[in-house]
Amino acid sequence: MFHIEDKVRHIVCPYCGCLCDDILVELTDGRISGVENACTLGAHKFLDDADNRLKGPIMRKGDQWVDISYEEAIAYAVQTLSEADRPLLYGWSGCVTETQAIGAHLAELIGGVVDSTTSVCHGPSILAIQEVGHPGCTLGQVKNRADTIIYWGSNPIEAHPRHLSRYTNYADAYFLHNAFRERKVIVFDVRKTATSEIASEFVQLEQGGDYHVLSALRAIVRGREDVVPDMVAGVPKSQLIRVAEMCKKAKFGALFFGVGVTMTGGKYKNIRNAIEFVDELNRHTKWTISPMRGHSNVYGSNEVFTWITGYPYAVDYARGIAFYNPGETTAVDILARKEADAALIMASDPGAHFPRTCCEHLAKIPTILFDPYPSATTHLCTVQIPCAVNGIDAAGTAYRMDGIPIRTRKFLETGYPTDTSLMHEIYEQIRERKEHV
Amino acid sequence: MQVTLTMKPRAKPFLPIEAEMINPMNFIGSQNLFVWEGNKKRRLEDIFTVRKEGNVNSPENIVVVLRGDTSRVKRVGEYMSSGTIIVEGDIGMHCGNFMRGGFIEIQGNADGWLGREMRGGSILCHGNAGDYCGSGYRGEKRGMRGGKIEVAGNAGDYLGEYLTGGEIHVHGNAGMFAGAEMRGGCLIIDGDARIPAANMAKGTCIIHGEIHEMLPTFEKIGEKDGMLVYHGDVANKGKGELIVKSKIT
Ligand code: SF4
Repeated sequence: MFHIEDKVRHIVCPYCGCLCDDILVELTDGRISGVENACTLGAHKFLDDADNRLKGPIMRKGDQWVDISYEEAIAYAVQTLSEADRPLLYGWSGCVTETQAIGAHLAELIGGVVDSTTSVCHGPSILAIQEVGHPGCTLGQVKNRADTIIYWGSNPIEAHPRHLSRYTNYADAYFLHNAFRERKVIVFDVRKTATSEIASEFVQLEQGGDYHVLSALRAIVRGREDVVPDMVAGVPKSQLIRVAEMCKKAKFGALFFGVGVTMTGGKYKNIRNAIEFVDELNRHTKWTISPMRGHSNVYGSNEVFTWITGYPYAVDYARGIAFYNPGETTAVDILARKEADAALIMASDPGAHFPRTCCEHLAKIPTILFDPYPSATTHLCTVQIPCAVNGIDAAGTAYRMDGIPIRTRKFLETGYPTDTSLMHEIYEQIRERKEHV
Repeated sequence: MQVTLTMKPRAKPFLPIEAEMINPMNFIGSQNLFVWEGNKKRRLEDIFTVRKEGNVNSPENIVVVLRGDTSRVKRVGEYMSSGTIIVEGDIGMHCGNFMRGGFIEIQGNADGWLGREMRGGSILCHGNAGDYCGSGYRGEKRGMRGGKIEVAGNAGDYLGEYLTGGEIHVHGNAGMFAGAEMRGGCLIIDGDARIPAANMAKGTCIIHGEIHEMLPTFEKIGEKDGMLVYHGDVANKGKGELIVKSKIT
């Protein structure tokens, strides 16, 4: 039999915040048959795509799913969202910025709350940045200059597999002769991880001890090691002094932190402390700090919401003007307090990540889910609308974890509508409806 | 004059109500008052049964009583400068935001941000207070700057974050990070606290109960009236005072 084979280069992987843009995809008869350069996570995003998608929109009727048309699905969304008293528009991290922009405008139009998955991952990082600023840089700077890397509460080998090879430990550096030899990696974590195995220094701290260790490090760098007790959250003082010395000796240091610090007790206070630690180090040498953002375009949602509404996530338009207060206007809080009376979930899976009370509430209210694949949220929603996948059969802009916008590429034609076009249609229909009343 | 506001039954009882116009001063005269229920603007009378008794001579003599399930009513007493508000049950978030004078009494529990950035007056909460009692808004450099908050029950996390002036007295326990980033004022906790006074710059934090997970960056100075006195937070050259009964790390 004769097969049509094709290879497409420079594909952008839409899985994690690294947004690797050097993926090569092999197509056989218009189906993805091979992936090169991507890590396992990324490769499976491509390889598992076919056959897993929902064929078309579905709606819950009693305890059965019935197939509906895209027009019916849109009509349902338009009616539900325009009549709601407190609609919640949540997700936005797996879709392109073009769709996120419509989401922010839609929230204003219907007096809703728009929140992205930031509120359950790096929201605390943003709160900390709002308090003390962000001494950050792009990953290119880290790759070419950094000789000391800290991963704190983050396990890139398993969560962002190519972070080390593209930007840190295994990457060539323009300003270092033998990058691999010269680079030191320090890992702070509560348990041994794949990343701690390759570290030159592994600091194992007690669960919830991040703030204490950071405070102690700040005091040591400031020359006040005299007040620090012999053990801090399970870490011996001698090790802290050694690590502080390593950090001060660095020519260019980069601290990366993950949800291991943002989502333990203290949350944004931990990050604030880390930023102030980096500030303190900058009195001695050059250090930067960056969050390890998870979803491919979660950074984009913060950028887009900020330029449209003034706030990076958890924006409440109930009174027609933007109000922002994480803890009050974040999706988890709104659902836990049973405030929302309708929800639109865009390309994310709260059913798998939210506390049980939130999921129970989502199941009680009309919930419209945009997701190409069945997910845990499918069990909670009223209507699910599959759309084209960003980076496979849809193109758009996504922001890498360091805030660099990258254009994703479309390399397959599947016939699914894009979430951008669907959201645009919903927005326009609601706008017309509002104009007529 | 006494104004009694009784909550009417609502079709969607969980929808938040934003009612910053519930401020004694606004009940002088008979202007129309509006509150927001979710994204809908409603007349005060649509949400509450309003009963006014007595005459008004000055705002100080106005007592506003809130009755019924007011746990979702937010921003009550925002910017209030005189008069009294008595909440017979629980109250929603942001009660007494930016308050400058007068008195708020809450007979039940208060939700988050009680007395946020308040400048004067006093708040008495008989039940528990939520998170961020007496703190500032996100990214704000100063929390409560004056006045007094007294909580008979427990307080949530981040009690008195960025406290800059005035006094907060909690009779029960506090959650984590009480008095974080304190810049002044006095925070008294009769019960226990977890990771108190983190990164404090100035002010006094007194804890009569037990401390869990005390920070390593406080310098012991001495003893005063049977209590241990620490200075810190050394991590940031802080000159605050942390006074504790017993230290448990
Ligand atoms: S590191 Fe992330 S972006 Fe890169 S290939 Fe793996 S999953 Fe995709």
